Amino acid sequence: MTRPRIAALFAFLVLLSLALVMPATSQAPKSGGVLNLMLREDLPQGFAIHETATISTVWPAMPCLNNLVLFDPLKKTESVDTIIGELAEKWSWQDNFRNLVFFLRKGVKWHDGQPFTSRDVKVTFDMLRETADAPAKLRINPRKDWYANVEAIEAPDTHTIVFRLKRPQPSFLMLLASGYTPIYAAHLPPASYRTGCIGTGPFKLKEWRKGEYVEYVKNPDYFVKGRPYLDGLKYYVVVERSTRQAALQAGKLDASFPGETTKTAAEQLKQAVGQLVVTPFSQNVSDNIIMNVKKPPFDNPKVRLAVSYAIDRRALVGAVHQGGAVVGASQAPKPWGFWGLAEKDLRGLPGYAAKPAEEKERAKKLMAEVGFAPEKPLRVEIVTRAIAVYVDMASFVINELKQIGIDAALKQIETAQWHPMATRGDYQIGANLTGIGPDDPDANFYENYGCGSPRNYSQYCSEEVMKLIDVQSQELDPTKRLAMVYAVQRRLEADAARPILDWKLDYFTVWPHVKNLIPHQSIYNFGRMQEVWSDK
Amino acid sequence: MKTYLAQRFVIAVLTLLGMSVVIFVLLRLAPGDIVDILFSTAGYVSPAEKQAIMKELGMDRPYWVQYLDWLRQVVTFDLGKSYRYDLPAWQIIRPLLPVTLELAALSIVFAVLLGVPTGVVSAVRQDSALDYVLRVISLAGLSMPAFWLGMVIILGLVTWFRWIPPLSYVPPTEDLKLHAVQFLLPALAVGYRSSALIMRITRSSLLEVLREDYIRTAWAKGQSGGAIVWRHALKNALLPVVTVIGIEFAFLIGGLVVTETVFNLPGVARFLVQAILWRDYPVVQNLVMFIAIVVILSNLLVDMLYGVLDPRVRYGD
Repeated sequence: MTRPRIAALFAFLVLLSLALVMPATSQAPKSGGVLNLMLREDLPQGFAIHETATISTVWPAMPCLNNLVLFDPLKKTESVDTIIGELAEKWSWQDNFRNLVFFLRKGVKWHDGQPFTSRDVKVTFDMLRETADAPAKLRINPRKDWYANVEAIEAPDTHTIVFRLKRPQPSFLMLLASGYTPIYAAHLPPASYRTGCIGTGPFKLKEWRKGEYVEYVKNPDYFVKGRPYLDGLKYYVVVERSTRQAALQAGKLDASFPGETTKTAAEQLKQAVGQLVVTPFSQNVSDNIIMNVKKPPFDNPKVRLAVSYAIDRRALVGAVHQGGAVVGASQAPKPWGFWGLAEKDLRGLPGYAAKPAEEKERAKKLMAEVGFAPEKPLRVEIVTRAIAVYVDMASFVINELKQIGIDAALKQIETAQWHPMATRGDYQIGANLTGIGPDDPDANFYENYGCGSPRNYSQYCSEEVMKLIDVQSQELDPTKRLAMVYAVQRRLEADAARPILDWKLDYFTVWPHVKNLIPHQSIYNFGRMQEVWSDK
Repeated sequence: MKTYLAQRFVIAVLTLLGMSVVIFVLLRLAPGDIVDILFSTAGYVSPAEKQAIMKELGMDRPYWVQYLDWLRQVVTFDLGKSYRYDLPAWQIIRPLLPVTLELAALSIVFAVLLGVPTGVVSAVRQDSALDYVLRVISLAGLSMPAFWLGMVIILGLVTWFRWIPPLSYVPPTEDLKLHAVQFLLPALAVGYRSSALIMRITRSSLLEVLREDYIRTAWAKGQSGGAIVWRHALKNALLPVVTVIGIEFAFLIGGLVVTETVFNLPGVARFLVQAILWRDYPVVQNLVMFIAIVVILSNLLVDMLYGVLDPRVRYGD
């Protein structure tokens, strides 16, 4: 056979295999149909995404709203390269990543018919930054720290908006692309989003029947032609987990709730209904240990380090999550996240070594140095939220600590008391879960490790680390920034600032007729539903 | 009769007043409040912002002022505003009431239809094989929690029919058949337990009556077995049964939490638990008062029925 013939045959085989593989993915989207989705609780703060951090609000509120920019709903990976425009048609960095200029879409209307302008954007972000001249104020503002680097926001005309930053921050765009960053209507009070939703999004709120469901209909005036594909969305509040699972199994619901389906649950569902499609992805939620560095005995770095050495992360993943989690440091590891330390880099850090018995010996030595041993244990109280996922993890940790001479008694704290207690630092040691919006160090480091941040529960504060965090935040070269982020993570683990135990995976489950509902690296960013269609 | 009713009314008002104090105090003794919960959903706490929200919701006022304000609202039929939803509490509570009342009523009807006849048969055929079978069935009903039975029903439906009842309330005006199915299944789960209780009470009460002299006289006079049991004995045996039915109905109004949750019915009990978890004081206080009123009314109804069933019972003036 001649070379051209071999090449032709090869090309034919490639095309043939593509033709065989592609039909499912290259199907032309169909319009129509209603998607039935689940909620595990009623919307905690209505549609007021800016006043909450829970997925229970973000997931059902996202279809009503738009951001300036968003992570491409059709791509699994979230990075600066996968950001697409929503209300912003174009954007450009100027003055060496100090000014970010957005050129807004024209002709966009709010669901009540009012025109969308740059004033809406300015009012939203001034409100988030809590500027003195902000015309509105949020009741609760959990992400104010995200905008600490914004010096001013200007609206030179009705369709241009300029963010002036105090220092370069290339990942600022990542924060704006998160599901946490929608634009509110300036002509409405922010409180109105607690009871209803006037957005610019692909779906208009039809009805929110309290404790029962949230119903949306297609926005016929949506600014993206031909979208959304679906005629409507209905989110049912189903409090009981087994009823939710039964409803999914029965086909009453089309998809699981993000962050809800464990590996075991997904296996059970798949066993019951073979055609269900399960996609594992990172929840961007970590199990971690918070130790109050302001109070004895955890003001002593040796004790904190001993705790970190003592916990066998891999055993925890196996025992508590049945393999449905991965070991990582303070950023989710690849391929689930972008910035996390790789397995080989973790090996040298406290608690991550391949031989856990050796790690426990190190922990015992450290405890002995401060005068404690298994026969003469340090008695502490370990707090955790009175929710099964927290308690299971805490129980495992207690057993690990016992082996190195820390006798920890479990104290379960009701949800109402958990955050007040953690923020006040009214505890010694705790088993905690931390969720992060976009997979970016700026969204994580400042919030959870920054000096004085209300979500820095362990109250760890290192000027040196803060400098490193600031430097990585300003770095324009992605490769160099990655190296810096690795360095910060190593330092945080070495200081046992908030030992990370694992990163939880979700096994997002949908019926095969649900198309284009693609889970991302974080549960908080893929709920827009603009591209989703039903092949029923 | 009028005096009796007036006395009962005064007692009811005093009971409700006492209840209101208990509810109000207990709710505030529970750790945390709505503001803590709101901050919980945001993952942090700011003392200054917390104070501002407390003020906005009127929670910074002295407790006695808050209590009197609530009483004033109840008397004027203005139930205040839900802290969680920022809407009038009545607007939240109103759609829940028919759901729970219908489910409780259906459960009781089911329980009576099943419990009374089986209790009679069991008593009449005392110590027969049928009696033992019926007693085992009733014992199973008492031992089986309603929520467990509910869950078994749901799982059975999913496994065998790949179907479960609707996930939101279907009004009868919209689809009567689906509405009936939506309520009959949970009513079956709840009613079975209640029927077991009713069956046992009916049986023991009827056995006692069947040994009375006047029943022996009726037998001696040659009356038919059916007439003796159904006309003479059962009527007199029903007093404790009616008491139990009344208690069960009152219990069900607040006790359907798990059944409403498992079958995803938007009723009072399920909502009450959520409201308690959210420390939504106006909603919790008013829902508990509603339950208290139903309990008082059903007790009054039972007491009135005594007079109908037993002519010896008199309500003295």
